[in-house]
Amino acid sequence: MVESLVAHTLNGLYYGLILFMIASGMTIIFGVLGILNLAHGELYALGAFLVFSIVGFLTGLVAEPTGHFTAIIFAVVVLLGSLAAAAVLLPVGATLEAIFVRPIYEREDVYQLLLTYALLLIFIDVMKFGWGTSPVNTTVYSTLNEVPTTELVGFSYPSYNIIVILVGTVVFAWLVWFFDRTKTGRIVRATAINREMSTAIGVSTDRTFTLVFAMGAFFAGFGGAMASIGPGPAFLEMGLDPLVLSFVIIVIGGLGSLKGAFVAAILVGVISRWTVGVFNLPQLELAAPFILMAIILLLKPEGLYGTWGEIE
Amino acid sequence: MSRFLVERDGKTHFRPMKGLELTAGQVVLTLLGIVALFAVPDITSATALSFSIIHQGILFGLAAVGLNLLLRHTELVSFGHAAFFGAGAYGVAVLSSHYEVSSGFLLLLGAIAVATVLALVIGYLVAGYLDIYFALLTLAFNQVLFAFVLQSGYFNYNDGLSVRVGGDRPSLLGIDQWLVATLGTDPITAYNYTLYYLTVVILLVMLVVTWKIVNSPFGRALDAIGQDRTRAQFIGIPVDRYVWIAFTLSGIYGGIAGGLFALLQLHVRPEPVLFVFVSGEILFMAILGGIGTLVGPIIGGIVLIYLLRLARFYVEYYHALTGIVLLLVVFVLPKGMLGTLPEISAGLDRRRQDPTLLRDDVTTIGASIRERLYRAVSTVRIIIFGVK
Repeated sequence: MVESLVAHTLNGLYYGLILFMIASGMTIIFGVLGILNLAHGELYALGAFLVFSIVGFLTGLVAEPTGHFTAIIFAVVVLLGSLAAAAVLLPVGATLEAIFVRPIYEREDVYQLLLTYALLLIFIDVMKFGWGTSPVNTTVYSTLNEVPTTELVGFSYPSYNIIVILVGTVVFAWLVWFFDRTKTGRIVRATAINREMSTAIGVSTDRTFTLVFAMGAFFAGFGGAMASIGPGPAFLEMGLDPLVLSFVIIVIGGLGSLKGAFVAAILVGVISRWTVGVFNLPQLELAAPFILMAIILLLKPEGLYGTWGEIE
Repeated sequence: MSRFLVERDGKTHFRPMKGLELTAGQVVLTLLGIVALFAVPDITSATALSFSIIHQGILFGLAAVGLNLLLRHTELVSFGHAAFFGAGAYGVAVLSSHYEVSSGFLLLLGAIAVATVLALVIGYLVAGYLDIYFALLTLAFNQVLFAFVLQSGYFNYNDGLSVRVGGDRPSLLGIDQWLVATLGTDPITAYNYTLYYLTVVILLVMLVVTWKIVNSPFGRALDAIGQDRTRAQFIGIPVDRYVWIAFTLSGIYGGIAGGLFALLQLHVRPEPVLFVFVSGEILFMAILGGIGTLVGPIIGGIVLIYLLRLARFYVEYYHALTGIVLLLVVFVLPKGMLGTLPEISAGLDRRRQDPTLLRDDVTTIGASIRERLYRAVSTVRIIIFGVK
């Protein structure tokens, strides 16, 4: 019983942290640019497809792991490949912002939705053009599980999930450090809080926005990469559900709040796994995150850590 | 002057009812539109256009007209209108498959009732919210409903419910049976055509109703709420209650459209009627056609459904085609397809009278492209080499 509770909680953490990586990009884009990016899920899917090509190429270069140590080397190579795949999304995000998103900041909100929806549709076909319509799988999942993790404390649980949980936590820590301690991060926060003032002291808002959008795309792609090296394949429609769930997460956490997105992602992940595994209510699995969101919005409309336009 | 004609600004205006005055041009356009609507079955049988898709487009367009009531006047973006569309469709499906109701009229009443109750409940909960919170809250309720229907045996999970009772189509006020009995029409054709003409009649009635609502004191109050809630509150408008009523009204449009959609498809599955992206599509139809216009959402509905459902048979990359059309609407037609028409025709008129303007256009376009290229190059240079 306790063991299954731990397993379900770990499953929830794994799921939640994948969602956090996607939602973190969305929340910083929303917090700084004020754009609700519907194409964000497709950036996630693009990361998943890119990792198939890049990791597939890289793992061809290293030998099949034979022991624990070689398995760790293999895992490091896969992680580097995921980073490389996500890095491809940096210029993609920057180009999107500069060409498509920049002209519509001044327009009504609904046009942002229409524009990003158009980008979503175009991205689906870009991926169809690049990788075809059938799902692709990196097939590194079983090898990643050879990395010893939970065996050290005495029970067996897929190591891949543990790796994702660790990576997700590192991403959160890095983001907090970046926005809190670095100069660029502070400039971004200043721009989010007061655009006119930061322009007046010499910040180029255009460049800041491009940077933020590129960063958002990077983390969406990285989330996709981490999901795609797991048991599931990368497929064309994979962006839709995470997109909708990241809405839920950024609303529960408070729009634009990084800490909120982290807490909310874990809440959503753990609760949706507990509804099935612990409370035994599989018919509520899909609805649970939305019920949570509706309750939070009705009780505390600004979300758990609600801040408008500020990243905390 | 007769009862229907009035003189205004030296022009004769046609007045079909109190408050509604149309110029001669508008009368011609309206009549043309109505004739085109009634002629759709003949047009589609003579050309390669698809009858069923246009019918679906009109139904989604009707839901978009309802959404536009909210979007245009109270400036609230509802991202959960598929909830009412789906509620209408499932109202019809449940009544016919669980209670064996076969009268199309009763089924449609059931659809309206279900959608109204749902809109009342959701509207009560969301009426106090604004902007993005309103959009995401409606999205949440939509998705709760979708998840609930998808995982409930009563609604037969993902397979959905059939609208037939004992293998028969619902009867449409007896008109389709009458057609089959007297004219010997094929039952399927009779059913589809009768349903289409019923749709057109309902659509025209709903458009007139919308026009009435918009131009009533209630509609003006909604405008005031959209402009500034606090001010509306100060001048004595019960803001939350009015938003609640407007939300319910716009939900009813969705319910009617969804009910007719179920009668057309004869089978209701959760994904095509309840999924959150259907909500998005309904919203985009309104924007595509033109938020500021009454019939724009219908045009937007037909165009978007056509692109989403049928473009796949003509081009391999049909998503991209739809995306590019939407991009063009965002950047070239800022007020939607119908809303931008007057500006385009005025611009063309000016250029016809003064061809030198064309040369200015070319230089403006050239200069803006040059400037953008220069800025792009300098941005790339800064990214790679730094500011110095």
